[in-house]
Amino acid sequence: MEAIKEKLNAIPSHMDYKGQKLAEQIFQIIIVVFAVVGFAWGYVCEQFVQTVYILVAGFILSCLLTLPPWPIYRRHPLPWQKPRDDSKEVSQKESKKSGGKKKEKSK
Amino acid sequence: MNTILSRANTIFAFTLSVMAALTFCCFLTTAMNDHLSPIKIDVNKIIVKNVQDFSTTREKNDLGFITFDLQADLQHLFNWNMKQLFLYLTAEYTSPNNKLNQVVLWDKIIRRGENARLDYRSLHSKYYFFDDGKGLRGNQNVTLTLSWNVIPNAGTLPRISGVGSKTFQFPDEYTPGNARI
Repeated sequence: MEAIKEKLNAIPSHMDYKGQKLAEQIFQIIIVVFAVVGFAWGYVCEQFVQTVYILVAGFILSCLLTLPPWPIYRRHPLPWQKPRDDSKEVSQKESKKSGGKKKEKSK
Repeated sequence: MNTILSRANTIFAFTLSVMAALTFCCFLTTAMNDHLSPIKIDVNKIIVKNVQDFSTTREKNDLGFITFDLQADLQHLFNWNMKQLFLYLTAEYTSPNNKLNQVVLWDKIIRRGENARLDYRSLHSKYYFFDDGKGLRGNQNVTLTLSWNVIPNAGTLPRISGVGSKTFQFPDEYTPGNARI
């Protein structure tokens, strides 16, 4: 189980912030458009079930378009700071620690 | 919106909300219908007997037998917000026991797509026309009306009375024995 979970978690599924906003706008527009068209079509052929079918088609389409993290949703990655060199970091931490200790003592 | 599951949840919830809104709009499109239709009822044979209603009392009660013709075109009542019509034929009369008696004699379900142009001749009633006393013999004012329930996809369940009714009277004498019509 653990191995499967790890493998699943290893699959990247995240979108960046702008991608999330774009995905939300896309599925809302798709579903509303399908709803309006389905309502009109159902009214014309006097079958409310046609409206429901068309809405479900819109649901499936928007799932296909916005569930997987397509590249279009990952075009604005956050500008993370670059990882620092390990040896430098350690020496800096040590110096900070010593500095902190001194301050504590002075207090 | 950061994981697939949370996106799926958001999309599904949004779809359900839109579907609820559509259903309400569907109800609004038919909310103003009056569901009225003219009907024509005629009564052919009328007899009344005095027999025991085994399901209730040991005393003898009046039991009416009628056959009737029924013509109605209910096709135009159907729309996209109607699943079926439940028709029922009611006899209304006044008797010494009660100011108002209503007895359902016959009913029928018409689903969408079934033939809604009714043209029946000499139909027997489905259910017994029992009075709870001796109020049928010689009754001068028994009124038959056809009413219907509209069963919609969404919305109210209106109970409509058809336009047109038939008033008839029962004979003054009981028909003896097992004679039927």
